[in-house]
Amino acid sequence: MTLLTLLSKFFIVAFSKRLLLSFLLYAVLVPVVFSIDIIVNISVPIQRNSLNKTRAIFAQQLNYWSNGEKTRVFILKDDHPLHKQFTKNKLNMFPHQLRRVWDRMVFSGTGQAPDLVETEEEMLEKVASTKNAIGYLTNGSGYENIRLFEYE
Amino acid sequence: MKTYGYLNMNRWGLLFCALLISSNGQAELLPEEIQIHGFLTQDFFHSSDNNVNGLSDDGISPGRTEIGLNISYQAFERLTFSAQGLYRRAGYIDKGSVGLDYALADLNLFNYQKGHIGIRGGRIKIPFGLYNETRDVAFTNPTILLPQGIYFDRSRSLLTSADGGSLYAQHRTAWGNFSFKFNYGLPLGDNEEIMSTILAPTAKGEFKANPAIATQIMYDLNGGEYVFAVSYLDLKLKYHPADNEVFSSGYNTIRPLLFSAQYNGEKLGLTAEYLYRWNHSKNYDATPDNRSITESWFVQGSYRFISRLQGIARYETLSLSIEDRSGNYAAAFGLPNHIAYSKDWMLGLRWDVTSSLMMRTEYHRIHGTAWLSQSDNQDRSKTRENWDLYALQVSYRF
Repeated sequence: MTLLTLLSKFFIVAFSKRLLLSFLLYAVLVPVVFSIDIIVNISVPIQRNSLNKTRAIFAQQLNYWSNGEKTRVFILKDDHPLHKQFTKNKLNMFPHQLRRVWDRMVFSGTGQAPDLVETEEEMLEKVASTKNAIGYLTNGSGYENIRLFEYE
Repeated sequence: MKTYGYLNMNRWGLLFCALLISSNGQAELLPEEIQIHGFLTQDFFHSSDNNVNGLSDDGISPGRTEIGLNISYQAFERLTFSAQGLYRRAGYIDKGSVGLDYALADLNLFNYQKGHIGIRGGRIKIPFGLYNETRDVAFTNPTILLPQGIYFDRSRSLLTSADGGSLYAQHRTAWGNFSFKFNYGLPLGDNEEIMSTILAPTAKGEFKANPAIATQIMYDLNGGEYVFAVSYLDLKLKYHPADNEVFSSGYNTIRPLLFSAQYNGEKLGLTAEYLYRWNHSKNYDATPDNRSITESWFVQGSYRFISRLQGIARYETLSLSIEDRSGNYAAAFGLPNHIAYSKDWMLGLRWDVTSSLMMRTEYHRIHGTAWLSQSDNQDRSKTRENWDLYALQVSYRF
């Protein structure tokens, strides 16, 4: 009986320690899956969007909003954590797929690359101040001149 | 040779500085309608036998350099101008030349909910397979040497760009996107290398290309995770003989049909292309009229160990004529049998040091000499059937 109690105690302690350890490890090693918002300048017309359309906008293959005006796409560097999260979670793609499409256009004269920004702050500033702009942020609500972009 | 190398280094240095300055100044100095991009690539080759891009046989040849600088200007909402200058040297095929790679006006004609239609005019890149339009841009290529059975380096002047027009369209659906290109134009070309490979190294006249058709239909699914394409070219070369020459004014037609398929996963990439090419040579007098079919295909797999490090393997095969796969016809002309075919096993490693600097290396084990250039291998009887090729590449882009 005592042996059993001892054993069970041991297991509980060991298990909870492992649980704690794995939780700590998880918190440290696995980056928090933050929510990402696609943002547009207030000038962008409200239109119905699909995942496919959103991909085409960021791939620079759909270059005009529904009012006929040209899109301005802002992106972070390929290896920026937010860019990786954005392509994966929002576009269901990988950064290298977008890169492939842009490079093929840029180096064959058949299209332009999106505008590169260095930081999230710059992203916010550029999208807020550029007509017809689209970009993304960790949390895009509550900024002036910026509206959240939704797709079905 | 040394002086030549030194002079070249100086020239690169200057160009490189120019590129750096323009890339740093880009964000602040240029208006938003203008984009400037460029690249600079240097390759090194070493082979156990046979020469690739210079004297690589038992030596190291820094034989290929590619420098490009392009500008794109969005003049109006629907009208864009773009141009790219290219400096290139590649072994004895091209000892160094500067050219206009493309220069075009792109007019977006019509947009609808699910697609667009447009036209381009000027010097336009030829769409062919998955890699041809950006074949000189190392970053967009899977390996240092593209599969040579399909993207011949020796006849590249026929395949790079053409002066003419293009109609393009894209249609997006929930189950994939379709893109279509139809180009009609006069291919560029110093066709000396082509002349020596299709006709004979002794031919003294000149090949001139007729306007050619290049068309491609592409289907991609899930943002380019799966890509399928069919490309077709219709090329005609007319021969203008020199005085007192054995060859009369004949012509050649070359009609390649290419099927492409690609999977782009998070870590795994798979690519396969299959080429079936109709060749016809006629009215040369000195040689009988001839029809042949060239076949080439490759399968290629790549794996991203980490996002900046990628391994790649490929098997590629080429038969210049499917009715003479073992080269008996060539042997009858006193050429080695192995000029008729090649089988190439390749292993490579790509390291993206930063997003604008890339290094890679690859090893080829090759059986056959079908895609070797004549310029680098003047005496075919000295070429070897089984050989190894090592290549190293450093490339910078902005």
